[in-house]
Order: sequence, then C-alpha cells, then structure tokens
Amino acid sequence: MSGSGADDLAARQAALVAALVTGGPVPPGFRSAPWEAARAALLRKRAGEVARHWPLLAAGLGALWVPSFTDWAARRPTQGGLRDGWDFARHLRDRAQLPTLGADELAAREATGRYDGHTTPRPRRFPALGRAAGAVAVGFAGRVRLLRAAPRPPAP
Amino acid sequence: MWWWRGRVRRVTGAAQPTVRTGLAGVGIGWRPEIAGFVAELPGLRFVEVIAESIPPTGPLPPGLDTLRDDGVVVVPHGVRLSLGGAEPVEADRVARLVRAVERTGAPLVSEHVAFVRAGGLEAGHLLPLPRTRAAVAATVANVRRTQADLPVPIALEPIAALFDWPDDELDEAAFLTEILDQTGALLLLDLANVYANARNRGTDPVALLDRLPLDRIAYVHVAGGAEDGGFYHDTHTDPLPSAVLDLVGELCARRSRPPLLLERDGRYPPAADLRTELDALATAAGHPVIT
Amino acid sequence: MTVLAAPGDTWGIPGPVFLGIYLSAVVVTIVCSVIHRHYLLDGHYGQLHQPLDAQQLAYLNGGEKLVVWTALTGLRASGTVDVTPDRRLRAVGDPPAGLTPVDRAVFHAAQRRRAPRLLGREVQVIDALEHLRTALQERGLILTQAQRHRLRLGAYLLMALALVGLVRLVAGLANDRPVGYLLLGIPVAVVAAVVLTRAPWQTRAAKATLRVQRQKHRHLSPGSTPSYTTYGSSSASMGVALYGTAALWAFDPAFAEQAEIQREGAASGATSSGGGGGDAGSGCGSGGGGGGGCGGGGGGCGG
Repeated sequence: MSGSGADDLAARQAALVAALVTGGPVPPGFRSAPWEAARAALLRKRAGEVARHWPLLAAGLGALWVPSFTDWAARRPTQGGLRDGWDFARHLRDRAQLPTLGADELAAREATGRYDGHTTPRPRRFPALGRAAGAVAVGFAGRVRLLRAAPRPPAP
Repeated sequence: MWWWRGRVRRVTGAAQPTVRTGLAGVGIGWRPEIAGFVAELPGLRFVEVIAESIPPTGPLPPGLDTLRDDGVVVVPHGVRLSLGGAEPVEADRVARLVRAVERTGAPLVSEHVAFVRAGGLEAGHLLPLPRTRAAVAATVANVRRTQADLPVPIALEPIAALFDWPDDELDEAAFLTEILDQTGALLLLDLANVYANARNRGTDPVALLDRLPLDRIAYVHVAGGAEDGGFYHDTHTDPLPSAVLDLVGELCARRSRPPLLLERDGRYPPAADLRTELDALATAAGHPVIT
Repeated sequence: MTVLAAPGDTWGIPGPVFLGIYLSAVVVTIVCSVIHRHYLLDGHYGQLHQPLDAQQLAYLNGGEKLVVWTALTGLRASGTVDVTPDRRLRAVGDPPAGLTPVDRAVFHAAQRRRAPRLLGREVQVIDALEHLRTALQERGLILTQAQRHRLRLGAYLLMALALVGLVRLVAGLANDRPVGYLLLGIPVAVVAAVVLTRAPWQTRAAKATLRVQRQKHRHLSPGSTPSYTTYGSSSASMGVALYGTAALWAFDPAFAEQAEIQREGAASGATSSGGGGGDAGSGCGSGGGGGGGCGGGGGGCGG
C-alpha cells in the first residue's frame, strides 16, 4: 500500500496544511486568490468555533471579535476551540486588552480548570482562585462563583 | 492481500445500485440548537447528526434519544475521520464511528472525500484532495479500512473546494466515480457543493450531475451559502439559494425522488423560515411535506 | 423496680426518671415534627401538568428576583425595552398585548427610565409580585408565611426542651448529681432544633412541577445552546425562568451586562472532559461543557 506515490501525497498534504494554518506563503502551483479565500474562510470558521466555547469573550469584543481573533490566529495552528480561546484570552489579558465580559469568563475558567498552554486543560480538583484583569472568581468542585467582576467603565 | 479483498466483497456485496437504506423524503440535520424545532416536525422520517457529537457512553444528546425511540432514522455523519489523508485513518476514530452506529441504530453512515489533518497539524476544515491516482489509492485504502469495521454501508460526500491542486489528473466526476467503484461505497451527493464548485470554477453544475453515478445516491445534502470576496462560500449558515433548489429539480428529473437533507450549522433563522425551506425542498422533489 | 425520690434529688425527681421522660420527649418531638413538616411541605400536586406560565415557574425556581429578570427578558426579546449606556431601562414603542401584571410594571418602570437593578423597589413591581405570590400560595405550590412559621414549631419545642435540660444540668451540677447522660441528650435536641428550623418556601409539588417543565423544555437548557431566534421570543423568558439568568446571558450578553444582571445558573463548563474539547466539526454540538444546572436557589423570597 505504501509507495513513493503515497509518501509523496503525505508530504504534499502536510506542506499544504502547514502553509494554510501558519500563514505561510502560497505553495507553488496554487493560484493565490482562491488560496487566500480559503485561508480567510478557515479563520472565520475557527473564530465561530471559539466563540461557541467563549461566548462572553466574543460578545465583549463585539464587532472586533472576528478581526482581532483572526489576526492573532493567522499564524497559530488550531488546538481546538477551547484552547484557542484560552490562549487568545490570555494573550489579550497580558496586553491589557481584555474586555470586561471576557475577563469574567477567563477568571471563571482559570478558577475551575488548569491549563498550562501546551496540553489539554484539566478540571481542578481543589478550590482555586482565578484572576483576570481585575475579575476574581473562585471555583470548587466544578462550580464557580464570580467574587468580583472586572471593573466596568463608569456609567456616563 | 486476498483476505482483504474477500472481506470487502462480503461487505460491499450488499450494496446494490438501488440500495434500500430506510431513508425517504425530506430530513434535516439535527443540531442541539434547534432540537426543539426538529422534535416538532410531524412528518420527519430521518435526521443526520455529526458523528463526533455522539458520546461513546452516557446519555445521548437530549432530544436525539427521543427521535430515535420514535422511529426516526438517525444517520451519523463523520467530519473528522480524514479518509482522504495519506496517513491511515485512526483506529479509535473508526471505533467511535462504529459505536455511534450502534447507539443510534443507524442503517448507514456518511463521511467526506477530503482530509482534515496532515503532518501532525489539524486543518480544522475539510480540505480537497489532489485528483491523482495516488490520492484515489489512499482514499480507497482508508474507506476499506473503515468498511471492514462498519456493520452498515458508508456513503461518501464530495466537498466544496475553494482551491484546486495544480496537478489534477482526473476531473471531479471521474475521481469520485473511481473511488466509489473501487470501494462499493454509496454517494452522498451534496448539491450545494456541486453548485459552489461549479460557480467558483465557472463550469456548469448540471453537466457534472450527468457524469456522476446517480444510481448510487444514498441521500442528498442541500445547504445555503453566501458570496464573499468574489467567491461563493458553502457556509451552511445562510438561506438556500434558488439555484440550489433548481439543481434539486434537475436531479429529480434524472433520478426519482432521492432523500433530501437540509443542512444548517449556525445563525439559525426563525422556525417559520426553516419550515418554508423544508417545504420548498419537498415541493421541488415531489416528497410529502414534513412540516 | 420503683425508684423513690431520695432526698437531694434535683427538683425532687430522680435522675433516671427525669432522663427517661426527657429523652422520650425529645424523640417524640423530633418524630412528630418531621411528620408534620413532611405533610406541610407536600403541597398540592393537582396541577402537576397544568401549564404554569414562565413567570410563575420563575418564582418557583428563583424567587422574586428571577421573576423580574424573566419579565425583563420577555420584554427585551419582543423588542419593547432596551438599556442605555448609563445602565437604565428605556421603553421602545408601545407594549404588546398579553402582558402580565409584572410585565406591565416593568414596562412602566422602563418608561420612567429606572435602573434594572432597582426594579425590585418599584411599587408597581412589588404589588404585581405580591399577586403572583398569593396565586401560587393558593395553588399550594409555595408556603405562606404562616405556614412557614408552623414548620418551625418542632424546632421551638426542641429549643424549649434543650433549655429545660440545661437548667436541669446546671441544677444537677450544683447538687453534685451525675449529669452524664443529660450532657449527651441536650446537644441532640439542639442539633435537631437547628436542622428543623429550616423553613423552605417551596413545596415538593413545586419541585416536581419544575422537574416536569424542565424535561418538557429541555431543548432550552443552556447546555444545548438553544437558538432563541428559532424558538421565538417567548422561549427566552421560559429559558430564564427554568434555567436561571445564565440563559439571558446566552441570549443577549450585552444586554445582560448593561442591565447588571448577576449570572447564575449553569456552570460555565470550564473544561470539557475528554474528547469533547477539540472534536467539533462543522456545527458539531460537542459533548461536555455547559452544566445546565438550575437557577439561583430559593432562599428568602421576601415574604
């Protein structure tokens, strides 16, 4: 079953996927307009998938959700909606760009799950505090309570 | 590998050209977001569910179990097996698909002629294959590996591709027919994909219909899409375009009353709009109205 | 064997006799109280399958606060109210037909540009909630204040008994009499009194009704991420009524945030266990995530 044909196919498929998900240059022989359209469609789909796992973060960014997520994700292969959103939320937190709704959501997730950025997140067994941009949440046995919401801008 | 061919013959011997799969009329893709709507369709006879959303153990998604118990046929639709990949299909994914068949009592499953991962990276989407003999061989090998474990037939769906590989040897119809002939699998004809590909390539979708093995159709997908940046995207989150309904008519002129399934994956419209689309499909194909 | 009162017995009653009477009294009181409470908390099952509207169910699920949020959700879903950036409500257009008294009260508050978090102080809202509560009490789904006090009868008796025992203890110590068994009996009475002080306002009929309705409307559970657009605007209020404000947050997070509605209900489903996480394909409703728990618990309903 394996032969040079199959090996060649494997290599070409791997090169295609790598170029597509890491924002690499258009592989030789492919027309650039359809390729770019495919890459953009892939990122939009990914943004939708992450928004299902992180609805408050997406709602908090509103119209900026798709552009800011796709900018961040264009060079990062997907690890699944949950991890992508978690990494993105942490990225925003580190740059103080996390919206208040997203901060609440990240704090709640950090309180009930342990995620090191490289492996699948796991539920925490012991009570823990989660913090993000001023929001503080406490989690215990899968239940979570937001102790302090992220500070909102004062009402005009 | 004589023993392999023998097993394939036993499995595919049951797949006659006009195959009885228990599917009929108009169906809808079951999604938890619209489970309440699907539960109330009075004439519904079959649904399709994403195979990866059926857990191997524990309760079925709420609402799906009720449908199954009411005698509605449930077809698991795999999206992540990557049958078109050069790498052999992963055994635990096949096992999970088999488990989905057992839990739903399905008469068949479906998957795609596409790949979703390569070189350890997930693409996150169905990607087109180069239409080469090597790709045919790889896909056929993976389909046969899957068929060896599946107790029911499998239907293969050709996907909508925004781009083509530069070194295609076969055209789309020949590529697909070759794979179907060598595996004995059924065809899940996605008319929205046929339309999208024809529109993006500037070809005639009806001409493609004439070249496909329509007698192997297990059922038919229809879905909506939208134009963006000069391309037509098969989004599954938009209303059905009338051009796709026209294709349904063309198909029914060539093959009588195939089962039709409406696919919708997001941005669900009000229930009345969904009912209108389902009725339009039923009328276009001469099926009984299910709403 | 008769035990005669001996000189020096506390109060003139011999120790074993008093102990026997005392412990029997405690046990009998506990048993009677439990039976009495069981009977009181039963409620009327007659309308188990009679339709209750969303606001009545919201009351059973989460008290007066949840009723207000349910009404607000309904008005929001039909486009009748809005919230402005200064966190106050605003009425948009005319009220639709078929509003309940609570709906009308909230709508009028919106016309007067009240803040959502202060809706509970509006006189009209308080009145409408009072009517709702009375109706539910008449249907035997929630207890009146008088009934709740009756629930505590056993606890009061046990506290009195504990006090008697304590007095006897002190007196016995002063008289230098053995008090060992009494020392064991008093804490039992105290603990039982504390446990039996709990006076829930929901009857078992109410809980059964909620269970039945949640099963009927399980497609609205937050774990299924229901498409409220498909189900219609009244589905959002039923979702909030049965599953708590988490449903409103799922339906319209921007509105929920502006209206400062506390998010209670389904756990955020932080980490999907096992395969649920990375597996979603197009439109796959992956397993895991979304606890789908009930709304904020009962507690004082301000009765």
